[in-house]
Amino acid sequence: MHFRGLGPPGSLPLRRPVAIAGIDRKRGEVTLHLPSTDAATPWLAMRRAGDRADPIGPLGRPLAIEPRTHHLLLIAEGLSVPPLGPLTEAAIATGRRVALLLGARSAAEVYPSSLLPDELEYVVATQDGSLGHRGSVVDLVPAYEAWADQAVASGGPALLERVAHLARGRDARLGVACLGRRTARRGRRTGRVTRRSWLSVVLEQRVGCALGVCLGCVVPGASGPVRVCREGPAFRADELAWEESA
Amino acid sequence: MTLAGDARTLTDISVDLAPQRPGRLLVRTPFLAAAGCLGYGVEGEGQVPLDRFGAIVTRGVTLAPRSGSPPPRMAEVPSGLLHAIGLPGPGIEAVLERYAPRWLAWSVPVILSLCAAEAVDFGSLAQRADGVPGVAALELDLASPDLARGGRPLSLDPTLAADATAAARAATELPILVKLSPAATDLRALARALVEAGADALTCTGAMPALAMDPRGGGPLLGSAAAALSGPALRPISLRVVSEVRRAVSEPIVGCGGVSGLPDALEYLAAGADAVAIGTAALADPALPARLGDELAAHGPVARPGVTDRRRQPRTPHAARPR
Ligand SMILES: Cc1cc2nc3c(=O)[nH]c(=O)nc-3n(C[C@H](O)[C@H](O)[C@H](O)COP(=O)(O)O)c2cc1C
Ligand code: FES
Repeated sequence: MHFRGLGPPGSLPLRRPVAIAGIDRKRGEVTLHLPSTDAATPWLAMRRAGDRADPIGPLGRPLAIEPRTHHLLLIAEGLSVPPLGPLTEAAIATGRRVALLLGARSAAEVYPSSLLPDELEYVVATQDGSLGHRGSVVDLVPAYEAWADQAVASGGPALLERVAHLARGRDARLGVACLGRRTARRGRRTGRVTRRSWLSVVLEQRVGCALGVCLGCVVPGASGPVRVCREGPAFRADELAWEESA
Repeated sequence: MTLAGDARTLTDISVDLAPQRPGRLLVRTPFLAAAGCLGYGVEGEGQVPLDRFGAIVTRGVTLAPRSGSPPPRMAEVPSGLLHAIGLPGPGIEAVLERYAPRWLAWSVPVILSLCAAEAVDFGSLAQRADGVPGVAALELDLASPDLARGGRPLSLDPTLAADATAAARAATELPILVKLSPAATDLRALARALVEAGADALTCTGAMPALAMDPRGGGPLLGSAAAALSGPALRPISLRVVSEVRRAVSEPIVGCGGVSGLPDALEYLAAGADAVAIGTAALADPALPARLGDELAAHGPVARPGVTDRRRQPRTPHAARPR
């Protein structure tokens, strides 16, 4: 998953980070989904073929499938599905099984299944119960935690905190030995984690320079601040400093 | 009114930002990268045409290492950018050690931005930077809201501002630019006091102390209360500061605030600025300062006002300044 800053010349001061939702290498095309809630994206949505939008990118560090993953669990909410697109395509193309758990306020905000690959198992939770499970998407995660050998969550800070909290308890619940992680957290510059964490997250990108210069996008990492636009937007859960209260 | 471009050809748009200093501060175009928006310059090396900038002002450098403000650090607001970065950095020792050798290799002058909560600390910072090859000049950041002072920029207190300038002046012969807050009042007296204390040029202005709240009741939008507004919304405010300061002193002025194209820059020059620094707009378009240079060279000379308020005689008349 990559980011592009795309912006209307002169109107709003900053470029917009937009996730690449799909890549068609044969046709040389990328798919972007633009949220109508952002003041700048209707401008972009109105461009026609041949117009110039002055994008920069792809930027940042994409999500990756672990070689040993067979069952991939995706957790998303609202408008946060697009960043998972390329990973989903790659996982399905390599014969992995993929489940997407999606949370939304109501049926009207549920990501259309017509835009998702047929091979995907798609489970929906809505806060008002108008579609699928009534309640939070996080309620759906425990049923999949034993099945999935890799999980990726995409969404706002509240969702990610809750999923990260669940993920921290997963190893103990499933009786998985926790090798390597402690040293990786304490070690200052050793960096290398011998055992990959089960959960990765995609942070919502904020506007900024997108080039790693302004330090406007930083979030607390396990060993100091990290830039969402450079070191992210995809992180392993153990690379970030989570609030313990979640 | 004097015609500031009178002795120039179409292509010579160079400016001396410190004509009083032995070493001077000659910039080949009047377009500078504003402090904090291009990091230490090295981040853009190879991607941004730095050699076509007038000068680069670094991210604010402090005596001790700082981790910066808690996130979120930025939010877009109508016609502007609200930010509370909090001057993260490894401290002046590490910055000079790591980056000054690279600055030395560049043709573009690098202006080191210094920031501290106490006036005396500007002396220590200037002393450390004095004589370091690669540092062409200093900019004293008296504009950034400082939590150690309840969010008050130093330039809101003329005595403190003059003390900070004098402390830096006593420590170095390097050209010194002093950056004012757009919230500063009694601008003419402040400008005179700063020049008196040893400022070679004044940067008008830094970002405006400001606030944005979460309408859903989540409190302030940013992680630190020391937030400030930049971008187009700031331009009319900073322009007025330039105009006021130009009435009082003849020293060079670097206009700064909301410049995103040549017409904006021309406004600053018309208000009395000698150069223009670009911040927020360079986040989206890092090559902008270079392009503005080309555009101004094609545009030709700009009529600019001189000092009108001669309550106290400036050191040299504006019109007679050597070029
Ligand atoms: C992301 C960001 C970081 C900044 N960092 C600094 C800084 O470290 N020191 C400083 O003096 N000003 C800093 N500023 C203020 C700018 O240098 C400039 O004075 C201000 O943003 C107004 O110009 P603009 O509207 O072109 O951005 C920063 C501004 C932004 C947007
Ligand atoms: S957006 Fe500027 S450093 Fe990430």
